[in-house]
Amino acid sequence: MSRHTINFTLNGRPVTADVGTHQNLTEVLQESFGLFGARESCGQGLCGCCTVLIDGAAVTSCLALAAFADGSDVQTVEGLADGEELSPEQEAFIEIGAFQCGYCTPGFVLMTRQLLDENPDPDDDEIKHYLSGNLCRCGAYPEIVQAVRLAGEKRRAR
Amino acid sequence: MTPFELAQPASLAEAIALLDPNDTAIRPIAGGTALMLMMKMGLYEPQKLISLRGIEPRYSEVAATADGGLRIGAVTPLRQLEMLPVVAERAPVIAHTMRRLSNVRVRNVARLGGHLAHGDPHLDLPPVLIALGATLAIAGPNGERTIAVEDLFQGYLETALAPDELIVEVNVPAAAAHTAYLKHTTRSADDWPALGIAVALDMQGDSVSGARVAIGAATDTPRRLTSVEAALQGEALSDAAINRAGEAAAAEAEVHSDARGSAAYKRELIRVFTGRTIRQATGREA
Ligand SMILES: Cc1cc2nc3c(=O)[nH]c(=O)nc-3n(C[C@H](O)[C@H](O)[C@H](O)COP(=O)(O)OP(=O)(O)OC[C@H]3O[C@@H](n4cnc5c(N)ncnc54)[C@H](O)[C@@H]3O)c2cc1C
Ligand code: FES
Ligand code: FES
Repeated sequence: MSRHTINFTLNGRPVTADVGTHQNLTEVLQESFGLFGARESCGQGLCGCCTVLIDGAAVTSCLALAAFADGSDVQTVEGLADGEELSPEQEAFIEIGAFQCGYCTPGFVLMTRQLLDENPDPDDDEIKHYLSGNLCRCGAYPEIVQAVRLAGEKRRAR
Repeated sequence: MTPFELAQPASLAEAIALLDPNDTAIRPIAGGTALMLMMKMGLYEPQKLISLRGIEPRYSEVAATADGGLRIGAVTPLRQLEMLPVVAERAPVIAHTMRRLSNVRVRNVARLGGHLAHGDPHLDLPPVLIALGATLAIAGPNGERTIAVEDLFQGYLETALAPDELIVEVNVPAAAAHTAYLKHTTRSADDWPALGIAVALDMQGDSVSGARVAIGAATDTPRRLTSVEAALQGEALSDAAINRAGEAAAAEAEVHSDARGSAAYKRELIRVFTGRTIRQATGREA
């Protein structure tokens, strides 16, 4: 009973995994699915590098039991692009150059997706407040805020 | 983390039956944010966790009550308290507190019952709910009981819950007219606040007709400051009266030195923040 078979939707495809109850979702995405966009950095919920969307809501996957993903819809940064076509959030981060090493970027991009889903035209204060749980060691914060604004513009234009 | 069993019951009754009055290696899990941290650090190694996520939906709902208050199911995610208009209307201090409580991802996942049952004195909602006079409905194998939120906290990570009891609901009475919560974080390495303080005041004309004041973080457990409440009762909120309330708070609260500041510093914080919180609650210039 310390292992569970879970079925969930991962980036639009139905998948199955055999997981230990003690495994977190970051581990399972990496080990069972080869998805490394969500990565563990602090491991404590503070930095947002491990962000994924579960049923459309941003979640800290390093603090999420993988077993709880059963029956849910999980989206990682790898699922944002449509084939070769990047999502507006991804395009905006690249066009602004809102990163240096890129370690934090998948988390920021997914947070941007959820923010713009909730609030299509946030002002800078709303953007900063929403992203306050994501850390960028390279200090690309000013560019990140710009990228979120640009992503909003791109989404509104589509 | 070490392997354990995970049970996902579909009802409250089943969840309670799966708990064991004598075995703390079996525990409920709600959002799991606090438990995951403890398990990752090796501070807790469960044998079995009982998930509350699948129990009846009414335990994840927020309802307006006839007396002007709120009934909040214990499995309600904190994010709901932030977003639901009924919370902002009836207990604006709760919605406002969410702005500085952790981050969106944690609020999406953490549940009110887990927030309270964790028993960590540094968390934000305990003083807020104590100042609002909230009570808890607690269910166990022998039925339900009700306690005041301030009676839940017995020590650091220690609560009045038996291992086979669950918080099922939080009942918030109609909120006082003037409420506020402020916290102060001193940039210590672990970033928990040095002080959280909540105030709920009713006024009749210019003078205070009812006061509840509660603090967290600086003390071993979140608690009411009854001497401050007494000092405020009947007062017109002059600067002198507000200063006296601050002095009373600093004298009553038992504080210790730690990474977030010396005892003397915390007493000074309490003195100053008592006044600031009262001023914020009543719309006075700080
Ligand atoms: C990165 C990070 C930052 C944070 N910042 C803040 C902050 O700024 N302010 C703040 O206040 N808090 C903060 N927290 C703490 C957070 O609020 C708590 O971790 C959370 O509220 C716990 O809720 P949960 O549902 O995840 O609890 P769980 O981890 O599921 O459970 C916690 C405890 O409660 C027990 N339990 C759960 N539900 C019940 C129930 N219904 N009845 C009885 N027992 C129960 C469990 O057995 C466990 O002992 C932070 C946490 C993280 C990870
Ligand atoms: S690794 Fe999960 S929040 Fe930092
Ligand atoms: S780009 Fe390096 S951490 Fe953000």
